[in-house]
Amino acid sequence: MTLQRTRTYECMCLLDNREVRKGWQPLKDAVTGVFTKHGAKILSSRRWDERRLAYAIRGQQRGTYLLVYFAADTQSLTGIRRDLQFNESVLRDLLVECAEVPQTAYEPEAAFDVNAIPADDAPAAPEPVAAPQGEPVAETPTEA
Amino acid sequence: MSNMMQSNGGPGGRDGGRDGGRRSKFGRFGARRREVLPEEPLEYKNVAYLSKFVSANGRIQSRKRTGFSGQNQRKLAEAIKHARLIGLLPFVGRM
Repeated sequence: MTLQRTRTYECMCLLDNREVRKGWQPLKDAVTGVFTKHGAKILSSRRWDERRLAYAIRGQQRGTYLLVYFAADTQSLTGIRRDLQFNESVLRDLLVECAEVPQTAYEPEAAFDVNAIPADDAPAAPEPVAAPQGEPVAETPTEA
Repeated sequence: MSNMMQSNGGPGGRDGGRDGGRRSKFGRFGARRREVLPEEPLEYKNVAYLSKFVSANGRIQSRKRTGFSGQNQRKLAEAIKHARLIGLLPFVGRM
């Protein structure tokens, strides 16, 4: 006999921008479908941000974050985690328990133009080169 | 020359010092250290605030530097580690 207990969780999914460009709403539905497939009740799901990643993940320098709040049985988390890891659109996922859903999660999602996502295939902008300090040291010819 | 050969250990140094390597609960003049409270919530989404407690090499600052209580320092470390996992903070180096 297993203990059935429903709790509220928060899941931050990092989505592949190549999939996001194909359409935001179908991708969002596909990801939230993973939760509902395991019997979870979606409380809120909204785009958190689109930003540059701290390090490249699967060759991607940028990614879109989807923040999902849901209530699910503790036993179903293993299946949710596994399906998120199998999903090719989800680069990373972080599933943590949360005491209560913040009010900001229920605010309507801002309009999101997938065509406005900057391309990350382009190399990163070179950092500004600092002005040379002092006189450059001339190479002295080596004595034979 | 003989001075250069001496150990650089002192109070709070790596060689132990007066409290034998253990961190004292008291400051230099005997006053108890004042606990620093976090100004913002210590959660992984608060990247701008968390990055203040990460060194240029990406390491989490010690409790001695942050001044947090043990509970808040653990929350800080967990939040930074969560942020690293989903690509919000680097494991090594700066953003």
